[in-house]
Amino acid sequence: MMTPESALQSSIEAIVLASDEPVSQQKLRELLGKEIDSADIRAALAELETVYRGRGINFIQVAGGWQFRTAPEHADLVRRLWQVKAPRLSRSALETLAIIAYRQPTTRAEIEALRGVKVSSQMIATLQERGWIKVLGRKEVPGRPHLYGTGKAFMIDFGLNSLQDLPDSAQLMDEDEIQQLVSGPFDTPTASGHLDFKQETLTQDDDRQSDIGNME
Amino acid sequence: MSEALQTTLIEDEETPQSALPPVHLDQFEGPLDVLLHLIRSQKLDIFDIPMAMITRQYLEILDARKESDDGLDLEIAGDYLVMSSTLIQLKSRMLLPRPEVDDEGNEIDPRAELAAQLIAYEQYRMLAEQLNEQPLMRRDVFTRSLFPEIEDVERPLPKADLDALLLAFRNILKRVGGEVRHHIFSETMSVREQMGVVLERLGGSGGMQLDELLRDTPGCEALVTTVLAILELWRQQSISVVQHENYGAVTLLLKQAAS
Repeated sequence: MMTPESALQSSIEAIVLASDEPVSQQKLRELLGKEIDSADIRAALAELETVYRGRGINFIQVAGGWQFRTAPEHADLVRRLWQVKAPRLSRSALETLAIIAYRQPTTRAEIEALRGVKVSSQMIATLQERGWIKVLGRKEVPGRPHLYGTGKAFMIDFGLNSLQDLPDSAQLMDEDEIQQLVSGPFDTPTASGHLDFKQETLTQDDDRQSDIGNME
Repeated sequence: MSEALQTTLIEDEETPQSALPPVHLDQFEGPLDVLLHLIRSQKLDIFDIPMAMITRQYLEILDARKESDDGLDLEIAGDYLVMSSTLIQLKSRMLLPRPEVDDEGNEIDPRAELAAQLIAYEQYRMLAEQLNEQPLMRRDVFTRSLFPEIEDVERPLPKADLDALLLAFRNILKRVGGEVRHHIFSETMSVREQMGVVLERLGGSGGMQLDELLRDTPGCEALVTTVLAILELWRQQSISVVQHENYGAVTLLLKQAAS
């Protein structure tokens, strides 16, 4: 005899597996019937997440919904099955995407200023086509440039549940902090938190250096 | 402060050209990337960039590219050239005896803006790397999908090979016994039906020109069927077909009428 808990988990598994996109909790409730308590659904989801941890397929929360996906350690196997090569993202695409993700809404001019190079229309079009970025509106400055932000496909494809899940977003400094940082050391070389960051970037760079070394 | 800067500069000039491994512009995502590489790989202080040295190294990389076979791509050259002029301008501003001061009377280091730009860029460069380490859909993780993206799968077409095509065709011929059968028409009711129609029309007039009979037969299939019907009637000796001269008019007569 199936307990009500395992029956609910079983129903959720079926819905999520058969769905083409992540299924939100709200959608689950609609399908399962309003008489099911949302607290029970939440508990079932949490239980399923635990059950599938460490398995070949994982039950994870992305873009505000739930999805079954293969575990990353089996990527090679699945690619062999599908006979596909691992897609490679160019550094320029990644940098553009990172700036849009962390600074949205942002304009092309801001991206160019940060990267110090032009951003091609082709690049913007490609990212838009994949649904990773979208136009959020226009900035009310001369020329009314488009304001870009990330799209739902970005969250799904990068496995993020919300923008808060972006790696290291807390560490990111805004302009004021950077200004303070660069003007600071010349007058008052105090041991503040900023200096800590400086150390940190230096150590992080040591890794990068070896990367560049490998390229040559 | 300005004296201190001057001394630093003089020191810069005396700094022996460190043996930098050769780098290529292609590896970089723009001038900021190149500068960061120069600064970080030599463990220089981003807040105290030795302008003369960095500018010289930067221009060397640019020159190396110009002398290479590819030359400096005009599309990307602009960004790099703007940076070289910025670097030279910073250097010249630092050589001025009078230090620049802000509203509150604090000295402004001309390099502060560049340092800020570099730090901001470095942050995003790092974040881009971290983003790339996220488990990415269709690269690291996969979902069960009702409609697998077939068009994403590269299935290269085989090279065209005329001999292979001929061989394949010969094999097919061999299999069917060297004989290619074209089953164009099997006897169907429609030929029988058309035989009746022809007999009826001939019966009314006692004889008819072939042209006349076929003139109001619509469509290719009906035409073929009618001709087949005539031939069949002729074979059965139900009608006779008379032609008085080559390419002349063909007259169809009912057998009874002819006899």
